[in-house]
Amino acid sequence: MIDRSKPNRTNHDGHAPGHWLRDAVDRFERPLLLYACRLLRDTDAARDAVQETFLRLCRQDPANVEPRLAEWLFAVCRNLAIDLRRKESRMSAVDEILAETQPADSPQPLAEAEARDSSSLALHLLDRMPPNQQEVLRLKFQHGLSYKQISAVTGLSVTNVGFLIHTGLKTLRRQMTADATART
Amino acid sequence: MQDHERDNFEAKLTAYSLGELDEAERTAVERHLAQSESGRAFIADVRATAATLADALRAERALVLMDPQRAAIDAAIEDKRPRQPSTSRRYNPFVPISIGLAAGLAIVALLYVVFVRQDTYHVTAARSDGSFRNIGQASVTSSTGNTSRPPPPNLTPEYAEAARERVRREYAAGLAQQRNAAVYADAPSAAPAALPAVSRPELSELRRDGFGLQANVGLSIESQRVGHNTESYDRITDNPFLRSTDNPLSTFSIDVDTASYSNLRRFLTQGRLPPKDAVRIEELVNYFPYTYAPPTNGDPFAVHVEIAQCPWNLSHRLARVGLKGREIPEDQRPPTNLVFLIDVSGSMQPANKLPLLKQAMNLLVEKLTENDHVAIVVYAGNSGVRLPSTPCSEKVSILHTIDSLRAGGSTNGGEGIQLAYSVATENFIKNGVNRVILATDGDFNVGVTNQGDLVRLIEDKAKSGVFLSVLGFGYGNLKDSTMEKLADKGNGNYAYIDNLAEARKVLVDQMGGTLFTIAKDVKIQVEFNPARAAAYRLIGYENRLLAKEDFNDDKKDAGEIGAGHTVTALYEIVPAATADAKRPAVDPLKYQPSTRPATSDSPELLTLKLRYKAPDGDISKLLTFPVTDPDRRFDKATDDFRFAAAVASFGMLLRDSPHKGNANYDAVLEFAQGALGDDPQNYRHEFLDLVKKAKSLSGH
Repeated sequence: MIDRSKPNRTNHDGHAPGHWLRDAVDRFERPLLLYACRLLRDTDAARDAVQETFLRLCRQDPANVEPRLAEWLFAVCRNLAIDLRRKESRMSAVDEILAETQPADSPQPLAEAEARDSSSLALHLLDRMPPNQQEVLRLKFQHGLSYKQISAVTGLSVTNVGFLIHTGLKTLRRQMTADATART
Repeated sequence: MQDHERDNFEAKLTAYSLGELDEAERTAVERHLAQSESGRAFIADVRATAATLADALRAERALVLMDPQRAAIDAAIEDKRPRQPSTSRRYNPFVPISIGLAAGLAIVALLYVVFVRQDTYHVTAARSDGSFRNIGQASVTSSTGNTSRPPPPNLTPEYAEAARERVRREYAAGLAQQRNAAVYADAPSAAPAALPAVSRPELSELRRDGFGLQANVGLSIESQRVGHNTESYDRITDNPFLRSTDNPLSTFSIDVDTASYSNLRRFLTQGRLPPKDAVRIEELVNYFPYTYAPPTNGDPFAVHVEIAQCPWNLSHRLARVGLKGREIPEDQRPPTNLVFLIDVSGSMQPANKLPLLKQAMNLLVEKLTENDHVAIVVYAGNSGVRLPSTPCSEKVSILHTIDSLRAGGSTNGGEGIQLAYSVATENFIKNGVNRVILATDGDFNVGVTNQGDLVRLIEDKAKSGVFLSVLGFGYGNLKDSTMEKLADKGNGNYAYIDNLAEARKVLVDQMGGTLFTIAKDVKIQVEFNPARAAAYRLIGYENRLLAKEDFNDDKKDAGEIGAGHTVTALYEIVPAATADAKRPAVDPLKYQPSTRPATSDSPELLTLKLRYKAPDGDISKLLTFPVTDPDRRFDKATDDFRFAAAVASFGMLLRDSPHKGNANYDAVLEFAQGALGDDPQNYRHEFLDLVKKAKSLSGH
């Protein structure tokens, strides 16, 4: 039988109930917003989806959700975003997103100039990939989810996630090498 | 190395570079890397690219929530109770779906139109409008198994034999590989764990065991149940005892599915007890053939009722209703039009999935004749017809196509079903058997595929005479309840195939029953005589219950019975003579005339009524059988009766049913041992082994 006897961690370390929730909100607010923005291409809608994700989290039994918190949050956020997109069929407000998700524009030391270039090239190439591949690559390299977690979030099989990441990196590598060769 | 093999291998190296392999695979890769300079260079490249990408993505600046939104969340955290986000500055777009994801799914409607473009050999399907594509399931680049190919130039019998042999070898090699992997997994690791090249944020410390994230299948994400992985099972609550004065009628649809039994065999063989909700008692009971006599009077099935003492509660009675479908001799089979709809997504790669299915299809094709047609449709990132409807006199080209199936790509079951049905409809054989056979590990992308739409499609097609069978494969991701539902709506059956013997049972030995429906919409209604039966309980069939009015309503769909099939249902009955009428009665009604049954003096315990339609009929026929309890002891009952009772008690133990009474594993073993009968296929002996396994796993 399934072990349901996992300790309820709500009160561990003497924290008041709700503490784990606050931690979760602090930790995942920005990642989820980035993710939702990409799915919805609308910052207000993304904020709505993320707000609702956290409100739903508040209704969960911590023992149930905590061990798989990241996947739970991304999956719920994803479903809400899809529902919302279907409902509203919003036109993308690309400018708005670009304005809010551009790389940080702080002054860069000289040594970082080259890296910054390859960064913007990588992002540019990423943007040209199919949406599902972008999503999987972002979940992996922006949000640090494992293949298994990504599979749980997206409903793709683990093998499939592995393939998307593999071919995505391969495309990036090939095009970045081509670009470097062209510049020399 | 062929292209797809190289791709697979490179994908594995990439996974290794990112720290995604388990210990056994890692050890194997490291052994390879020790010898391969190009492999090491490949890994360095992957890590460098990954690091560049991760750095670039980390630099993206994120939004934060608006203050009122954050305040609403804080308030919800404070009082930790369900709360509408009414303090939000904006409208709440989620109210209609917050009742649960099942309803939410209905909103995520699948919008696709299948364009069927047919030239001489292939048909392709496409969505009409990319704008509604789910970002996660848009077209996938890495699929290898879904493009149409012309048949090979020389289709000789030698070629067919070679194809057959390849399929056999592929399956055997896959099995050997699985065994080896298991050996590696047990061996202590020699090499230090490879460090992932990309620094993970704190998320990686989260436990990464598999579990059921229900969101992906559109079942209730708020479910309290935590499964082992992404397999999902609908919750089942055991039927309660009902007083026959209040509920004299018990109505349900028959079910000939057997998937739950092979699924639980898979769990037990792997050394785990199955999750409660994966155990459907009627499917366990119906897994076994019983020796009921076939009909002699021209009806499509014969009915056999037997009543004896209930072994887990000796003061109760156990009634067994057994149906036996007419047998159709091999040479009188109607011609068949079969369309295999095969999931070739990446997850189907393991030996116990696609390779096993290919073996099973070979076995079936060998049995078919020139009257039978087979077509093969595959689905993954997109769908395609791999083999147009082909008469089985051309076995060679069928076997060749089976041999050429490869797994790779993501899944969209919805499109594939559309395509398969259109092939089946185009090749419809009047008065024949027209059937789509869906083979999958359940990795339906229900993220975009609305289950409701699928079900409607399948129901419509069933009305037009194309039925659906579902074969489930593999584990870890099985959407058990989805598959059962689909088969149910498609007038079909659902079998879970975990090994070649099971494949043979379903596709070859029981081909008659699995493929040839002899009566449809078979419903059972039992009227209990309150003077003899105080209360009763239907064992299993929880998701097959019907309202009493549905029995006479020919528009209500119900189960099918195939040629030679047996169907068994059990009732536990509390005799009226026993004082412990189980369920507390409601207070007597004050304004109703007293309704003492007029026939309360009747010696009959119950009346069994059945309704069924001919496979192509619209009007049901009624059969009625009054039944009297012969007052037989359990040990005087037939072998079939005692064996079915043993299987039911086994199911109740696994489900930890509140009604299991005195049932225990030793009693199950004893009853089954004494009721093995002839058991030509050894099914009942295998059952004994499973009971012993369950017994030791449960620590009894």
